[in-house]
Amino acid sequence: MNNQIGDTDTDTDTNVSTDTSTDSQLGATTGVETSTTTTAGESEEQIRDEWTDYRFDSPAKLSVEDLNVWYGDDHALKDVSMEIPEESVTALIGPSGCGKSTYLRCLNRMNDRIKAARIDGSVELDGMEIYDPNTNLVELRKRIGMVFQSPNPFPKSIRDNISYGPRKHGEINKGLLARLFGRDDSEKEAELVERSLRQAALWDEVNDRLDDNALGLSGGQQQRLCIARCLAVDPEVILMDEPASALDPIATSKIEDLVTDLAEDYTVVIVTHNMQQAARISDQTAVFLTGGELVEYDDTDKIFENPESQRVEDYITGKFG
Amino acid sequence: MSEGYAHENELVSAESNLYDRAMDVGIALSITTFVVGMITFADGVSLAATGMELVTFFGILLGVVAGGVGIVAVFSYTNVVPITSQRVRGVALGLLVSLVGLAVAAAALPVSLATMLGLVMIVEAGLLVAAGAGSRFGFVETDPSMSAGLLAGIVFGLLGAAIGAVIVASFPGVPGVIAGVPLWALGGLLFGVGFVVLTVSPREDIGSTVPPALIIGILGATIATAVIGVGWQWTPENLSGGFTGGSVIPVFVLFGSLLSSWSAAKCRADFGARGRQYGAFFVINLNAFLMVAIMAAIVVFVAVKGIGWAFHDFSIGALSLLVVLAPLLVLTVQRARAPAGTDEWHSAARQFFRVLPLAAVGSFAAMLLGIIVTGTPFEIPYQYAILVDRSTVMLDTAFRVTPSLAVGNLLVIVSGTLLFTYFLRRYGSLRDVGIEYERLSPVRQAVPAVIGLLVLLSLVFVGIGPAPGGIPIGPTVGLGLATLGAIVVAALVLAPLGALLTGEGSLAERAHENAQLLNVGLFSGVALLFAVIVLEWTAVSNPQLGPLAPVPTVALLAALVSICLAAFAARARRSTDDTLRHRVLGEEVTLALTAAAGFVTLIGLHVAATSETAFAVGPVEVAIHGSLSWPTVLQGAIPLGQAPGGIYPAIVGTIWIVIGASLFAVPLGLGAAVFLTEYAEQGRFTEVVETATNALWSTPSIVFGLFGAAFLIPRLGNSLSLLAAQLTLAFMLLPLVVITSREAIKSVPDEYRDASAALGVDRWTTIRSVVIPAAMPGVVTGVILGVGRIAGETAPLILVLGSEINATNAIDVLGGFAFTTSPPFITNEALLNSSAALPTQVWGIITAGVSGSTSKGWATAFMLLVVVLSFYAVGIIARTYFRRKINYE
Repeated sequence: MNNQIGDTDTDTDTNVSTDTSTDSQLGATTGVETSTTTTAGESEEQIRDEWTDYRFDSPAKLSVEDLNVWYGDDHALKDVSMEIPEESVTALIGPSGCGKSTYLRCLNRMNDRIKAARIDGSVELDGMEIYDPNTNLVELRKRIGMVFQSPNPFPKSIRDNISYGPRKHGEINKGLLARLFGRDDSEKEAELVERSLRQAALWDEVNDRLDDNALGLSGGQQQRLCIARCLAVDPEVILMDEPASALDPIATSKIEDLVTDLAEDYTVVIVTHNMQQAARISDQTAVFLTGGELVEYDDTDKIFENPESQRVEDYITGKFG
Repeated sequence: MSEGYAHENELVSAESNLYDRAMDVGIALSITTFVVGMITFADGVSLAATGMELVTFFGILLGVVAGGVGIVAVFSYTNVVPITSQRVRGVALGLLVSLVGLAVAAAALPVSLATMLGLVMIVEAGLLVAAGAGSRFGFVETDPSMSAGLLAGIVFGLLGAAIGAVIVASFPGVPGVIAGVPLWALGGLLFGVGFVVLTVSPREDIGSTVPPALIIGILGATIATAVIGVGWQWTPENLSGGFTGGSVIPVFVLFGSLLSSWSAAKCRADFGARGRQYGAFFVINLNAFLMVAIMAAIVVFVAVKGIGWAFHDFSIGALSLLVVLAPLLVLTVQRARAPAGTDEWHSAARQFFRVLPLAAVGSFAAMLLGIIVTGTPFEIPYQYAILVDRSTVMLDTAFRVTPSLAVGNLLVIVSGTLLFTYFLRRYGSLRDVGIEYERLSPVRQAVPAVIGLLVLLSLVFVGIGPAPGGIPIGPTVGLGLATLGAIVVAALVLAPLGALLTGEGSLAERAHENAQLLNVGLFSGVALLFAVIVLEWTAVSNPQLGPLAPVPTVALLAALVSICLAAFAARARRSTDDTLRHRVLGEEVTLALTAAAGFVTLIGLHVAATSETAFAVGPVEVAIHGSLSWPTVLQGAIPLGQAPGGIYPAIVGTIWIVIGASLFAVPLGLGAAVFLTEYAEQGRFTEVVETATNALWSTPSIVFGLFGAAFLIPRLGNSLSLLAAQLTLAFMLLPLVVITSREAIKSVPDEYRDASAALGVDRWTTIRSVVIPAAMPGVVTGVILGVGRIAGETAPLILVLGSEINATNAIDVLGGFAFTTSPPFITNEALLNSSAALPTQVWGIITAGVSGSTSKGWATAFMLLVVVLSFYAVGIIARTYFRRKINYE
């Protein structure tokens, strides 16, 4: 099932430059010729299949097979296959430009929005191929939500930010017509806003100013608001692209606690630069190394205490990266 | 060298050294000559003025400057507005010194202003040379660079070349041509090279003082020796007029003082990097000042010429003005309430300035009340020119404020709506506050239903007419329902007042408990009465119970009750310390004020709905025709007779043209911008479209006019028409809307689009609910700019709309719509007819020769300016609104 996916999305987004992960991808992969090429300080070795062969009991929520991504001529992601278990936290770690953000963005087809990207391979959500040409992107992205590296609330009120997704999907109706015909969903909206904000551990801080503009919140609050906004559409999987990298330690620890809590109900996939963070919050860890390869994927404890690959050990102990 | 005394508190320290003070005076002298140059340019004073006239002129200038410097000095001395910069202090003192010097010189020397300006320029030149030499030979400690720089060299070289060419050419007895080369060219070249060398090769202190001093000196000497004096005139053969000293001398003075301020500022800041900065500061600021002065001069010029005619026979009742003042009062109160900083002493001054506008509104209101109480009108009599039988006649008129108590309903509606919107926006919510009475919930449900029924009934009357088949159903039903509605409203509004006045506990407690009653009573009251008035309008009914009209009477009563409620709530709020209760009562005050404004608006609406009858309480009345009389804006031209009437048709025409063009161009342009930015593949295609759009924007307007005349008009009934004018101007507006909207949409961060896409929202919805709202301020800016341009556009309108100058009737676009049973089903005669418009009327009056009234032309130009500026104001308010919405303020 190797579909060539180019521009099947109705999106033909053209603003490539704003995507930071892409930039780093393009920069870092320049000059990479073969999969064994390494950065300075990295020892050479051959990747073995069993390093990434992580087995678990529960059914796989997401299963990725032979995923390849090219940005123009750059081969950013090479033959990645991995299965992600349900209701757990999966951390993706690795040095800059190793393809972990690219990989993450493939899981809800956000890479479709980058015109130069070409994707080849298969990603299945609960056994359904998401790279099918007839995939309903609206439904897909409702089921797989995403939180970005820098907080990006809309310039609207806190309430409107949370209810944006459901309103646009027609689940909450607050228009003039709805009000006239008595189908106003204000109460439903209020419940949704409260539930989402509570889940994101933000309710106590903002419940008295829901009508204030979200841009007036602090960075950490904005990021939790973005998480709440993502939760409001009731996703099954939440992708997080370095959600705490722009935040201070206190805000970071709040986000980390939140991620741990969320894993009870949701499947969380989180990209992080911070290895301590990955060790603290994740159940299993995937290590991407230079060249866009998945080198090792296993229980977090195993990865951090006894990795198979020498390169992974070097990376984790800080010899390079 | 000025750091040593930077923290002294005297205006100028006793330790200040002579060089710095001299240069400050030099700068001040340059500024003074610059200002005097501008005044002479605008004929504010004659260049030939001498003796007493000149002394008076400088005396006035001195008075103005002394007043300004004096008040700042007082505030500075008392540490309210501390001015610590020695440079600012020095220049301020220098201004006084130079003006005193000029006044004394004017008294002592028997010379004209022109000669004196020449002498001053020579003095400035001498000062610059002295400063440069003083620095070069080490008398003062400065920090010059090695050279004044190549740019300065080129500038002075070019100036020198021009001066050299003129000097050589004007020298008597010199042969014109040597070896085939004109001598003036040789002279120019020689001087130019000389100036370049003089500027570039010596150290900066010489290079940036001597060359400008030479130029200023030469210009000054030309004026002072009367080579180009007041009486000088140059009349080229092929021109009917000529150039006079009166217009050339100010240019010389302005240019010379700009140059000397630059050079003196460099000297003052000890050359080097700081000198360059200070010099550039002066040149740029004086330049900007000149630009602003030119723009202000244009506006003032038109206003002075046109304001007399524009306000002929203007009169307004004092009460009407008070109504206009009400929104201003609220605004100034809001400004005065804004926090005034800390409790330190000088925050008192800030508080003073904050309340100043409020005080001004208050004293104005007191003046108006005085007019009402004493019954004496306020009048400014003057004369204005009109055209009678092709000859100008002066007519007596006056600007009046009369003690009349009649108010036009439009004024009431506008003021009331403004206040209503203002308070409503400030009102938050009273949800879940106080006791929820059981009897309240049926009211909550019934009121919307009743309002819905009334609106439905109104729609029925719109459909069948108030009296189908001659049976007056409308008036009868209206009488019953309106009276009943008014009584219900009265009950709704009186209920909270009753609850507030009776019952147990303190006033604050009662007010808190009855919040829901207040909320439901007031809001339902306003909404219900509004529906009643709509019914009155469509059913053509105006119920009268004996001498009383129930609807406006109840509205007035409800407004008074609301004000009482606001007062009680405010009093209760004062007496409570509980934070929550404080906030609730604050909301109640706002709510009551909102309702009061709403009910007052409804009185105006009632009068508008029932047309003919005024609503009067004693001498105060709200009527269709209030006490405002402004013929220029409210009347068409009166063809025969003494009074000239006004230009109402032209104003209406211009407004409709702008509205029509915007309605056409804005959605189309915004749509095109969205497509080009969000959907189209960025590449050759969008580049071509972009270039084409830019080119279209710079296409001359007459070309659009020709297109309209040759293409649109034959297809639109083959006559000059408003519709053709709207479309032509819409085509002109379109490119700017596209360009600015595109820029605005491009500048919306991609994060918003990503975030929306990640929530599974499709592209179009994202554009509609995130991208366009965020781009709105930019789009509005573009529309403002475009509307400013098309509102005053003349050339295409002459071709597609004609240039009527004495229109008596305004087009009626809204009333022009007619429905027919055969195609085209809907017609609008007004759109297919020609109309007057302000710019074409100005043009028409100019070309009408002796049969055009010049004073009316100026008044039209003035009103055009006012209309354009009003459109600007509306645009700026809209932009501020959208900005507030997306920024957290």
